[in-house]
Amino acid sequence: MRSIRTKIELLGGLALTWGCSTGVAPPIGEAREGPPQQGGVLRTAFFTDVRGLDAATAFDTAASAIESLVYDGLVTYDDEGKLVPQLAERIDISPDGKRYVFPLRRGVLFHDGAELTAADVKRSIQRALHVKTPCPVPSYYERIVGFATYHDGKTEDLAGVKLDGDYQITIELTEPDATFLHIMALPIVAPVCASAGKVWERSFASKPCGAGPFKVTRYENGQIIKLVRHDGYWEKGKPHLDGIEWFLSMQSFTQRFKFEQGDLDYIRELSEADSLLYRTSPAWRGRGAWEPSLTTGGTFMNTEMAPFDNRHVRRAVSYAIDREQLASVRPGHVSAHAKMVPNVLIAPEPGYPQQTFDYERALEEMRLAGYAYDPKTGQGGYPKEIAYLAILDSYAQTAAEIYQQQLAKIGLRLKIQVVGWPTFLAKTSRRKTAQMGFAGWHADFPDASTFFEPILATKSIQDEESQNAAFFSHKPLDDLLDRARRSTDEAERKSLYRQAEEIVVQEAPWATSYTYSYLELWQPYVHGYKPHPVLSQHLRNAWLDRAQKKLAAADCSRGHRLLDRLTCPRPRRAPTTLALARGFR
Amino acid sequence: MLAFLGRRLLWSLFTVWAVVTATFFIYNVLPEDPARVIAGPQARPADVARIRTQLGLDRPVHVRYGLYMKNLVRPPAETKDDAVWKVGPLRIDLGVSYLKRKPVTQLLSKALPPTLLVGFLALIIEVGIGAAAGVLAAMKRHGLLDYGTVTLTLVGISAPTFLTGLLLQHFFARELRLFPLDGYGQTSAEQLHSAFLPALTLGLYGAAYYTRLVRDEMITLLKEDYIRTARAKGQREWVVIVRHALRNALMPLVTVVGLSMGGLVGGAIVTEKIFRWPGIGSLSVDAIVERDGPVIMGVVILFSTVVVAANFLVDLSYAVLDPRIRKR
Repeated sequence: MRSIRTKIELLGGLALTWGCSTGVAPPIGEAREGPPQQGGVLRTAFFTDVRGLDAATAFDTAASAIESLVYDGLVTYDDEGKLVPQLAERIDISPDGKRYVFPLRRGVLFHDGAELTAADVKRSIQRALHVKTPCPVPSYYERIVGFATYHDGKTEDLAGVKLDGDYQITIELTEPDATFLHIMALPIVAPVCASAGKVWERSFASKPCGAGPFKVTRYENGQIIKLVRHDGYWEKGKPHLDGIEWFLSMQSFTQRFKFEQGDLDYIRELSEADSLLYRTSPAWRGRGAWEPSLTTGGTFMNTEMAPFDNRHVRRAVSYAIDREQLASVRPGHVSAHAKMVPNVLIAPEPGYPQQTFDYERALEEMRLAGYAYDPKTGQGGYPKEIAYLAILDSYAQTAAEIYQQQLAKIGLRLKIQVVGWPTFLAKTSRRKTAQMGFAGWHADFPDASTFFEPILATKSIQDEESQNAAFFSHKPLDDLLDRARRSTDEAERKSLYRQAEEIVVQEAPWATSYTYSYLELWQPYVHGYKPHPVLSQHLRNAWLDRAQKKLAAADCSRGHRLLDRLTCPRPRRAPTTLALARGFR
Repeated sequence: MLAFLGRRLLWSLFTVWAVVTATFFIYNVLPEDPARVIAGPQARPADVARIRTQLGLDRPVHVRYGLYMKNLVRPPAETKDDAVWKVGPLRIDLGVSYLKRKPVTQLLSKALPPTLLVGFLALIIEVGIGAAAGVLAAMKRHGLLDYGTVTLTLVGISAPTFLTGLLLQHFFARELRLFPLDGYGQTSAEQLHSAFLPALTLGLYGAAYYTRLVRDEMITLLKEDYIRTARAKGQREWVVIVRHALRNALMPLVTVVGLSMGGLVGGAIVTEKIFRWPGIGSLSVDAIVERDGPVIMGVVILFSTVVVAANFLVDLSYAVLDPRIRKR
């Protein structure tokens, strides 16, 4: 089915190239400076559907973007990506790092008009972690005192979450956890209205109710989610918009058509062809932005299977990959990346341990491994084919073909097996099943730990459900990660993760290679938006210059395109697709 | 006649059961784990295991099959009304979607009317255009009209629906803005308006096929003795064509229309995605991509029933139209 989607996208691109040789439409209106204006409805779209909007269960990217507008949490991220209190007035952490006290803001109202109290916060946390709630990641919260007995259904009270009166809540942990505030910023434990109940009910997913700046008035699967301003929102003057309309399951080329016509104000899921058109359009120069990437991509090598049980072969792979070549296939969207933690989280200062492309060194590692390869004669190398698992219709498939060519130059012959996403997950999580394949990880929350513990720690290895696809077990790395998790000293943690990166460079369970970004575009009349370092499509501060948008609506050249070519003054012709592509090269 | 009907009915029920059983086992023996897909690639093993238990996926496949079939048709008292279809005294329970966490019957009930609307319109378009163009081409055989029709039908049959759909969307919705680019609309008028392009996309493919079918059938029939007799009796040409020839040419058309119901659904899968039409096609694509087993099973049961019922009706119409079949 993914291939059907791809065909549709490809044909869409083809239709655009053929039918729209006029290039992309210019921006609508002008970006005028001024104070934020109240009112207006912003329209945008998702390529996918949104499964549900129950904070406790919906954890995918699409749902999270809308949930961040519907639910406020105890903590959130500021514009720089730093953790700050949201519904909490402040956060008091005990010196041993095991006790967090959250005094609550007074006068915070839910969408149903009820005032937020500490009991609501506890009820919401308990509801999310209840044994009957299909929360995808309850184990994130396993360090809360009493989690195990509560989550197993042995008690009805989560002992570690305590009420201190109506407006203060205390959470106790079994051990210090540097990621605790990050997981408290996830919508999963955000306070929900009393209508959500104490135990999960499936009906709440389509009638969500929280304390965020927008409330949901219409939710139709595969069609639309309509949000309107929550008039009782605690932050005075916010939100600026009257509402946001989110169209669901909309094809990328349709999103472009609607964006050109002013029917969508902000888009993010352009096809490669459209992205190129916008990036090279003079009218769009300097507009839009790349979403900061919290993803690391590359290839894993199963350390329990030959030839990757040999450390030198793994190192040879990491040296043989030319990451710039991988990035050049999709300029802009794909960037070369050679370490586990994305640059948004830890910027690589000089000397920071990273994998590198060094062909001679790769050949030397192959020789040390006992598989010396002579590039001149093509003799030597690993004698058997290596099965490489890639995912259908993704950049991983393209990357696999590039890896195949690059690794052939050091005597490793890859046989690419392209499978669907569910099959990929099943095969890579099973012991001694997948030799090598696509490796990608998106931050669960913006902390370096999420790029090591779930995917490279020994405790993540299991016979059937292994998240550690490389089955990499390394005691010094495990010790470093445990220390980093318990440490509350940011400088110490940074140093520990730097050491962890060094181990990955030396042992090479992954050959990190690239990171993937989305191009975000918005019309000039949309203000107050910029890509957030952590939260995707964070539209809560956006506002519209409605006068400019109205001007656009009155512009006949944006209306009945074919008919208007006869009736409207002919607009300045934009360069053709072909010319743009040539110019780009 | 009753024995004939009984035999056909039993075969129909057996066919539906066989399709359901085959789908269930094929889906369940795939080396994939719906719990992992539901939990997401980032979920930890303990969470995946718990979801698997919640969904009953930790049980052996034959046990799951037994439970599924047992729950499929239930007595009224055992299920909530919002989660089932009522069929006489029985309740059809197709389970709950793994991902949307809604009863499958609810999802299908919501998706079925849009699909039926588009399917019905497409059927009108394909049969209408197919019959008219086929007759005209046969009447003007070896003429410009005939060659033009044959060429166009060749193009129509060759062009996949995703290409036709994109082209129609580009010209009629984007350039001319005569129809919405996509979506369903809220009022009946909006829905009918929005349904036109998806229906035309589906209908054009069928129309091309039916044109060829009717044309060939008409060419054969127009050479028959009874047509010559009718003409010799001085009947008007349109009476000869419509009353004598076309009526007989429609017999194979009825058969093909019945058999093509499945094809209409297959085309709808792509067409509905292009036009963001909230029908069974869109539901199927999402369910298959996300391995949402209960929804996949629900769609299969629904459409195998529809296709089998359509074929049953075709058999029935044969029996009504042809006395020789009744006597078998």
